Amino acid sequence: MRREIPLLITFLVGIIFLFGPITTGNIPVLEMSFRQIVSTYLSPWTTIITAFAIGLASINLLRLHGSYVARKRSGWINSAALVISMLFFTVARIIRELRPTDPEVVAFYGRIFDNIAAPLSGAMFAILAFYIASASYRAFRARSLEASVLLVAAIIVMLGAAPVGALIWDYFPSLQRWLLAVPNTAGQRAIIIGAAIGGFATSLRILFGLERGYLGGD
Amino acid sequence: MNWANKLQSIDRRIIYTILLIGLTIPLIWPIGIPLAVNDTTRAVYKIIEDLDPATDVVLLSFDYSPASAPDIHPSAVAIVEHLTKRGIKWVGVSFWPEGPQMSEGIMRNLETRGLKYGVDFIDLGFMAGAENAIAEFAQNSRVITTDVRGTHIDNLPLMNNITTMKDFAFVIGISAGDPGYNAFIRQAVDPMGVKFAAAIVTVSVPAAMPFYASGQLRGMLQGLRGAAEYESLTGVAGRGAAMMDAQSIGHLIIVAFIAVGNFAYFLSKKK
Repeated sequence: MRREIPLLITFLVGIIFLFGPITTGNIPVLEMSFRQIVSTYLSPWTTIITAFAIGLASINLLRLHGSYVARKRSGWINSAALVISMLFFTVARIIRELRPTDPEVVAFYGRIFDNIAAPLSGAMFAILAFYIASASYRAFRARSLEASVLLVAAIIVMLGAAPVGALIWDYFPSLQRWLLAVPNTAGQRAIIIGAAIGGFATSLRILFGLERGYLGGD
Repeated sequence: MNWANKLQSIDRRIIYTILLIGLTIPLIWPIGIPLAVNDTTRAVYKIIEDLDPATDVVLLSFDYSPASAPDIHPSAVAIVEHLTKRGIKWVGVSFWPEGPQMSEGIMRNLETRGLKYGVDFIDLGFMAGAENAIAEFAQNSRVITTDVRGTHIDNLPLMNNITTMKDFAFVIGISAGDPGYNAFIRQAVDPMGVKFAAAIVTVSVPAAMPFYASGQLRGMLQGLRGAAEYESLTGVAGRGAAMMDAQSIGHLIIVAFIAVGNFAYFLSKKK
């Protein structure tokens, strides 16, 4: 029964989610539509479970890095920074949520967010620009026909996307727009549709109990 | 090592330094390179121009964090400025934990200019649950019972006529990743017919193009450039236009290094 009950729950919930968007009428005995069951019962549950997963992951992260600090493992100072900043921001945000009308609390949280979290996160993202500059210089070599096509497309998109491209050659922006709107859209559609069909096939396998990896164990 | 080989392996610190200088100078002394406006940006502008300030309420979803703020926050500011200019009221919400703090700065700025929280705009804050939360909020927009300032939504006139996401005249997602514009399309646009546009980080633009072509996205601001274009349409100067010069020089430097690398590669092959 340890396997059969989860499989049955998965099947029933999966069927309800599957029929929710594609049916309209009521289920005879329940006098409710699939869509109503999803919005009234299942949707709030899934929201709670997803939110709970974030809490669980946070506790797991704290436990893991807490043990690194306790054992003074190599690089424990980074773990300590993570634990301290996580706890500090968690407590600060909880106080902010509990006292949303207190101007001092709101201003304090605003200050630590704007002066610590925002610049640090922004700096991490900004470093990517330098990495990409160096990586594209090394990687974009016209070594084959395919690489050459990629190289030319990349240059057109880069120059077409920046205002300076139009100053160099009038056609850069329109070529960039064409590349994005036609070959890119076609390729992206193929990926989206392929992934959707793959996802649907995998969902069916899970629904009918053929794919049981999510149950854990052997 | 001959010079052709040397040019193929320029030290990354030299690249970083040149890029840093190239990005910094236009930020201090803007060049003012003229900017053409994309159709995707014009579409968002037209949507807001066609709204009725007397009756319409717009939903803005702030789904980004400080990491992507340099690329996308100017779009959020530009859209809010346009809504403000037209006197259209808006409701904010976030499905990213950092979202409310991103909208907080925008609201503070509006309040210093005399606009009133609760009358001209409100923020419902963060709803946990990622795409599930978007689905739930789409079906029942009163599922968030208090706003970021602790007021019950029954006491917020802007929420009086709102039951589902479809009751908003328009929904604009300011989206930096997952959950983002595609979750709105799956959970609100396709099943409910919600009218939706988005401001998207530059790196996500190619993936979003099919949704614009299909009409699921009615308009789209393409990263920082989208913000700069929008500022030029509304005539409200912001950070987008100022930062576009730096982006132009950055792109030029990268293209120049790619050209040098390839030139040296072909020279070394000939030898």
